[in-house]
Amino acid sequence: MRRLIGTVFRKELRDYLRDRRTASTSLLWALLAPLLFLVLINVMASWRKDKPLELPVVGREHAPSLMAFLSRLGVTLKDAPEDYEERIRAGSLDVVLLVPQDYGRDFSSGRTADVNLIMDSSRQSAQRSVQRAQRLLQGYSRHVGDQRLYARGMAPELAMPVRVEELDLSTPERTAAMVLNMLPFFLVMAAFGGGMQLASDTMAGERERGSLEPLLLNPVPHGALVTGKWLATVAMAGVTVLGSLACFIVVVRHVPLEDLGVRARFDAAATLGMVAAILPLALAVSALQMWVATYARSFKEAQMYQSMLMVVPMLPGMMLMLSPMQTKLWMFAVPVVGQQLLAGEVLRGEVLGPMPFLIAAASCVAVTLVSLRVTTGLLSQERIVFGRS
Amino acid sequence: MIRATNLHKRFGKVTAVEDVSFTAEDGMITGLLGPNGAGKTTTLRMLYTLVRPDRGTATVDGVDVTARPEDARRVLGVLPDARGLYPRLTAREHARYYGELHGLSGAALDKCVDELVDLLDMKELADRRAEGFSQGERVKVALARALVHGPRNVLLDEPTNGLDVMSTRAVRTLLRRLKDEGRCVVFSSHIMQEVAALCERIVVVAHGRVVAEGTPDALRASTGKDSLEEAFVATIGSEQGLMQ
Repeated sequence: MRRLIGTVFRKELRDYLRDRRTASTSLLWALLAPLLFLVLINVMASWRKDKPLELPVVGREHAPSLMAFLSRLGVTLKDAPEDYEERIRAGSLDVVLLVPQDYGRDFSSGRTADVNLIMDSSRQSAQRSVQRAQRLLQGYSRHVGDQRLYARGMAPELAMPVRVEELDLSTPERTAAMVLNMLPFFLVMAAFGGGMQLASDTMAGERERGSLEPLLLNPVPHGALVTGKWLATVAMAGVTVLGSLACFIVVVRHVPLEDLGVRARFDAAATLGMVAAILPLALAVSALQMWVATYARSFKEAQMYQSMLMVVPMLPGMMLMLSPMQTKLWMFAVPVVGQQLLAGEVLRGEVLGPMPFLIAAASCVAVTLVSLRVTTGLLSQERIVFGRS
Repeated sequence: MIRATNLHKRFGKVTAVEDVSFTAEDGMITGLLGPNGAGKTTTLRMLYTLVRPDRGTATVDGVDVTARPEDARRVLGVLPDARGLYPRLTAREHARYYGELHGLSGAALDKCVDELVDLLDMKELADRRAEGFSQGERVKVALARALVHGPRNVLLDEPTNGLDVMSTRAVRTLLRRLKDEGRCVVFSSHIMQEVAALCERIVVVAHGRVVAEGTPDALRASTGKDSLEEAFVATIGSEQGLMQ
């Protein structure tokens, strides 16, 4: 039995790898995501770099002491262009400070003097500049307020019954994981993409070519045929996942993650944890893909089913990526979701213990066994063996 | 030796095989002759274990095909209706793959494959990939992988279908050779001349039943016709399927 499985396994892999174009497609799965990641991180890092805030001002001459305060804190002040409102709407300007004419009068007489920040709050990219400008202006307001209270012999604390201090609980690893959240998703994609072609070819292709009937004429239990073919699919999926992970490691070492203020945990233990999280999924996905491909009468039809199969389990994963939920233990038992959670936690540097890994792996093994069982049964059905397009 | 007893198979409302019984002896070529749709392919599929008969039994060298299908497949070499190849494997690799699936390996397998390459006169295509093989070449590869384990019983479903004259002759030579080696050869055909040229024993199938059985001479005698063609028409009761 084992020898027969080995024979089928070797034949399927050899056959598949001889098709250079298809085989390199699955390699692409391994490379594409890390490259995308490389570009993305670089772009994000370039946004994030703390450049001096450029603040166009209308009516600088009305508030000389505010201007001095701002430039002392490193703000580059300049005159706002005439059409600044247009430009803000178009997005070429983030924010403009408007100092009204009677600012000086109000300020000197001790009344609250108004300044206007002109911005477009619907524009995400401008939010950072807007926040920085707001914070600086509040800082100035408090600074002057404190001085005025002192001058009247009062402690500024009296005017500040509550002070809000922000404690950022996200450790560098946590921030990193937010950015790296895409990584588990891409690894899951690699598990799907790697064996997809082989699974289609080995079941639907066999039907399409008319080679299934002769194959079944050999004195080989159907289970051995299915297992051999499945192992070949798993091999491709596994290689793709590992290749993808290796590329990620190389990329992570070379991207300016520090510029994003994040440190990724990518040591040996984390890498191993990631492998332990994702590889069991390759078993289940490969078996599922074979099951699905057995129904297809042609390679093309199988590819269609495969892409549908790819989308359905991705949905919970994507939701998880967009709106993180409180992780519960049962979630590890949901294939795809479990793997993404596990890999995410490992990246974040959480210590999980073996339980979640075992739960996730067990559910994958269950899916695998059911799929292989059904696929084996299908090979005894006359409509599958003889049904050709 | 192959023995079919009262085989019956229905697909939904269509009865493909009503009642087929016959015996194919070793060292003899037995032809299943009948028009298209007579139930020849379904009969063969029941013999080579991929279709389960609703009623009746069949044995190959005494092995019941429904009770022990894997053992039956061990003593059978089959050229089925579907003869798809793997385009990226060479002819030799096809034969080796099936040989390994039959449990052969090493020098024994090499010897079997080399013998078949000689026998089927496929030295030139042995190490070429099957992509782009002609019909005749494809049938040779399909025959090589069907015979690689040296089966005592050989079943062929319309082996010369779609072949040119030279390939047809090559197949006929092979069948005679298998017979001379004492094997039991059964093939199906709707072409009268072919059956007449090859078979010692003819089983005429029509509408899922055996309508006549015997040597070509016996068939002629029983219908009182001089030519086998006339006898055939007389037995199946119409000119349906008489072509070429």
